[in-house]
Amino acid sequence: MKTIAYFDSSHDMPEEVIAAAGFIPYKIFGDVHTSNAPADQFLQPFFCPAARSFMTQALAHSGEWEGILVAQGCNATNRHYDVWRRHVKTPFLYWFNGPLKDDSLALRFMKTELWRLIDALSRHFKISVTDEMLSAAIRESNEVKKRLQKLSAMRSEKDVTNREYLEILIKSMTLPKQEAAAEIDTLITKVEKKGPFPKNMKKVLLTGSDVTYPELMDQIDASGFRIVRDDLSVGERYYATLIREEGDPIDALASYYLTIPKPATRLGMRGRIDYLMKAMADSGLGTVISQNLKFCEPFAYDSVLVNGALKEKGYRVLHLEREFTPGPDNHLMNRLAAFSEMV
Amino acid sequence: MNQKKSSQTGTPQIRIDTLPHARELKWSMIYYFLVGKLYSVLPWKKTAWSCAGFPIELLWGFDIFPLHPENMATVAAAQKQSQRLIEHAESMGYSRDLCSYCKTNFGAVDLDVKMSLGGIPKPDIITCTNTICDTHWKWFQIQAEKLKVPIFMFDCPKIVSGTDERTIEGYINYMVDQFYAFFEFVKKHTGKELNVKNMMRASDDSERMSILWREIYEYRKCVPSPYSSAETSASFFPLVMLPGKKVGIKFFEKILGDVKKRAEKGEGTLSGGAKERYRLLFEGIPFWYRMRFMYDLAKYSAVITYEPYTFSFAPPKPVGKDYSESLREVARIMMDLPYSYNLDKRIQYFEQAVKDYSIDGVILHENLSCRPSSTGMIDLKNAIQSDLNVPVLIIQCDMNDPRAYSDAQMKTRVESFIELMEKNKKG
Repeated sequence: MKTIAYFDSSHDMPEEVIAAAGFIPYKIFGDVHTSNAPADQFLQPFFCPAARSFMTQALAHSGEWEGILVAQGCNATNRHYDVWRRHVKTPFLYWFNGPLKDDSLALRFMKTELWRLIDALSRHFKISVTDEMLSAAIRESNEVKKRLQKLSAMRSEKDVTNREYLEILIKSMTLPKQEAAAEIDTLITKVEKKGPFPKNMKKVLLTGSDVTYPELMDQIDASGFRIVRDDLSVGERYYATLIREEGDPIDALASYYLTIPKPATRLGMRGRIDYLMKAMADSGLGTVISQNLKFCEPFAYDSVLVNGALKEKGYRVLHLEREFTPGPDNHLMNRLAAFSEMV
Repeated sequence: MNQKKSSQTGTPQIRIDTLPHARELKWSMIYYFLVGKLYSVLPWKKTAWSCAGFPIELLWGFDIFPLHPENMATVAAAQKQSQRLIEHAESMGYSRDLCSYCKTNFGAVDLDVKMSLGGIPKPDIITCTNTICDTHWKWFQIQAEKLKVPIFMFDCPKIVSGTDERTIEGYINYMVDQFYAFFEFVKKHTGKELNVKNMMRASDDSERMSILWREIYEYRKCVPSPYSSAETSASFFPLVMLPGKKVGIKFFEKILGDVKKRAEKGEGTLSGGAKERYRLLFEGIPFWYRMRFMYDLAKYSAVITYEPYTFSFAPPKPVGKDYSESLREVARIMMDLPYSYNLDKRIQYFEQAVKDYSIDGVILHENLSCRPSSTGMIDLKNAIQSDLNVPVLIIQCDMNDPRAYSDAQMKTRVESFIELMEKNKKG
């Protein structure tokens, strides 16, 4: 099976359409271990380092993919598309303009955009995408999401490391869905055999920019924090809700992508705060780690009010600004250690 | 004004001669501040915050006065207030990497700064778009939440490079749907109904103003140029804040008269008949806290004869079309402003401007506060240099945060660039 890669800044790309068209949807994560120098020929160093890493990966690996889709998300997706178009060699580069709003007008527009995407894939690859294919892709996607929900629920009861959690999410977004589901099953079985939640670890909710490499998760683990809830796109946002399996699949997809928990890149900060408050209350948590990747503007804008609302409710919140690096960040570790002592 | 000798070096110091009617800009400013204040205090009058890229004529149609947080941020910078306001916003938790306009506004609102120093009254509604950047709607959403004011954001699809006309028509449909939702929103939150006749008249007047501005720019093509960015960076104020208002139209008519006279006499902007040696194009938002930069160029006989930023506020407005056609046209303009052109179109636009304005060198402001406008600048630079053999200088700075500006570094870079242009001229 061939692969179509996609670049989105949240959970914005309807990967079920890619799967229904007969391709493996592959979310571009970049590689924190590789220098961004190739992308930095075209993108300024004060742009999001993750987005620069995505372009670096695309410059090196686009030949392995049948095409690349870019979904509207933030300034990076919206403006870098044109730069990718000039420099990343791919036979099919496509812009998916999902709406930023979630009202009835946005829903109608989202359906139009989904049809436009299907039409573009069909014409370019000379294929036909039927409702049955879309429904089958939705069912497969839901199977992955259901398993992730099960695993997520185990995070506060069992010994699921932060790295294990992130790595399985990355697999869920890069492997064929059946393979990903099998991988999650294997991890669930492994976790079931492991001991209960470690007594020396503190339960925490993680919010802010998406984490795309496990080394950061290791650092959080090493500081004595275990992430049991989050609102990340490489996290709960990806699986918190399921896609409706009955009725028209386009309606179901449009509705799903407009109603998933809000990232900072979508209008509706109140919705984001509500999700966080509910997650904290449902899980009986008292502690939040908020982190912002350097130059990730949407989450940096949100962080003051979002963290303020959490603090007002009596939760302890640590806000960190982090670099895009796999190496141990002593500044970050010190702040995490101090926070750990405090809680 | 004649050439004066610098007290330090004894070398002739070339200055910029401003137009005779330049100072009449004050009437537009007084109008804006007074009427803005009046609309803010009279209970039956309504105001809205708005951002660049939003069609103000829609608000005129409701008799709602637009207040511009971005432009008030520039006022703060010009009054040397922006740094303290930005630092205050940073003390509230906002990152150093975020937009300096936005942080100036956060600081000004939190400290309740008066309008003459960059403050801005609380509005009845907040309106914005995502056309130019994420910041506009993120910023306005935060302020709407804090000030407890209803917000409407136009979700403008992106016309990326290669977008076909059929897709654009689909985008326009979505935008037009949002216009009607916007009208309902305004009615719900202000009690005001759209007066279509007033809106269409505002659009006609706005086009009248834009035509004058575009005509002024035609004269800027003359060699020497009778009008430089040292002045346009201030005089475009009515176009942004008061599109279509008579006070601005009168001002532009006088400016056009001055420019025509200068052009007919073959006079430029440099003092004492000094020769315009280098014609520059400046891309990006100026350094509002250091407008001397534009004047400093004069001592090298360099004149900024074109800047897309100030020109971009005068796109052709829909005139002589019916209501629904006008809305479709406004929708298209909103998505396709020169300041948010996709890279292919931007390169084409710049290369044409370099030819039309006989440009010797291009300065691109890589703005730390504006990642969207900085995106693609490297490609833009490479294209202009290779296609037209015109030198391009990228300078990294910030529009409202003086901490990003270094006099010595700027001088060194500009002087090297002047040398490069000189070499290029000699061929």
